[in-house]
Amino acid sequence: MAEGARVQVSVPHALREYTKGAENVTVKARTLAQAVQALEAMFPGIGYRLLDDQGRMRRYVVVLVNEDPVGDLDPAAVALRDGDTVHLLPSTAGG
Amino acid sequence: MADVKKGDTVVTVGTRKGLFLFHSRDRRRWASRGPYFAGDAVRHAILDPRDGKTIYAGITSEHWGAIVSRSTDFGGKWTEGKEGPRFPKESGLSITRIWQVQAGQDDDLYIGTEPAGLFRSTDRGNTWESVKGLNAYPEREKWNPGNGGLCLHTILPYPGDAKRMLVGISAAGVFATNDGGKSWRMYDKGVRYYGQKKTYAKEDLGTCVHKMVRDARDPAMVYMQNHAGMHRRKRGDDGWTIIEKGLPIAKSTLGTFGFPLAAHPHDAKTVYSVPLEGDYNRVVPNGAMAVYRTTNGGKQWDRLTRGLPQKNAYYTILRDGMRTDTNDPAGVYVGTLTGELYFSRNDGDSWALMADNLPGIQSVEAGIAGDQ
Repeated sequence: MAEGARVQVSVPHALREYTKGAENVTVKARTLAQAVQALEAMFPGIGYRLLDDQGRMRRYVVVLVNEDPVGDLDPAAVALRDGDTVHLLPSTAGG
Repeated sequence: MADVKKGDTVVTVGTRKGLFLFHSRDRRRWASRGPYFAGDAVRHAILDPRDGKTIYAGITSEHWGAIVSRSTDFGGKWTEGKEGPRFPKESGLSITRIWQVQAGQDDDLYIGTEPAGLFRSTDRGNTWESVKGLNAYPEREKWNPGNGGLCLHTILPYPGDAKRMLVGISAAGVFATNDGGKSWRMYDKGVRYYGQKKTYAKEDLGTCVHKMVRDARDPAMVYMQNHAGMHRRKRGDDGWTIIEKGLPIAKSTLGTFGFPLAAHPHDAKTVYSVPLEGDYNRVVPNGAMAVYRTTNGGKQWDRLTRGLPQKNAYYTILRDGMRTDTNDPAGVYVGTLTGELYFSRNDGDSWALMADNLPGIQSVEAGIAGDQ
């Protein structure tokens, strides 16, 4: 596994077809952007589902690092530490 | 599940909550499959007419992005493209929805997106290239969205000439290319202004095109349902001509209001439309469902109602909600936002209900299954 903090990513139901059903995935990453890259390397195609064309987290994806919302921040600027959990959730919107 | 066989008519129905497929040998009894991509909006899906086997679906998840998937066994297995379409970073834009999927010439595949953009694939939807000439149009900042968003919803390749194409963007207008997409120009002269008798005096931005189709025999002739009325234009004409005799007129626009258009697959000058009451009430007039047909290029439109409900049918049909197949006589298919799917086996002379209780129908396409 690459260098970086060891973090757990909680995968939302809609994206578990990419992770072959895994609800939680462990990656090594220093930032949220690296965590998404690591996920993409492990599960091709999942990165497109998370990042928009400008490299930001998609608008209706809620991202928490532990309990802190970070979805509006530049993923490259969201630092991760050992033991962090990144929660990826669909926002409660739609119809 | 009944097998789809070569020669079957296949109808792809994109809905707000997934994709449904219908198929039939005799266009009397229909078998259905789906929903696929349940819960996601499928604004448009086509059976590729070049092989009669590959279905391309433009799927939009409001949470997880928009992507194209394909199937070569009528829904048994779906394959996502290796990469989804993306605007270049320097554009500052990000795709939210796929509005249209269109087969081009040779191996090309095109999609129209929201925000308005045109993307091309030459590898069956695995990877996508932004058509920069349009997507970075010099006056792009002046493109205003319509009620449904700033969307590129109509892609009209020119049969046999890969350099020519028309696209429709709500509510920026009609754009034309003659050089394979490197450069584009407006194609709106003659379009009626909203609520006025005067028309655009030059090719200009800002008309709200709803749908366009090419004439079956003369592809240089194009019919357009615009927000402000029904028009026709042939390449070489000075501008668009209004063609509304026999169509209901909306009080607000002073023209015929509606969204879908479909061209007969074989007969010249034959086009179908479904007028709505007006932009202030987007349902068919008086609760009576009717499809209108012209057989003379719009000089006269006739109202077709046999088999369609004439009371309490307050239907909305979206811009891709009607299409023809390529049989003879032609089949015509209409899907409503309340989930009814009607069809005709005889050029629209009479109609029957194929399915109801579907999720809101976004699009209907019809094709013929090829070799399996």
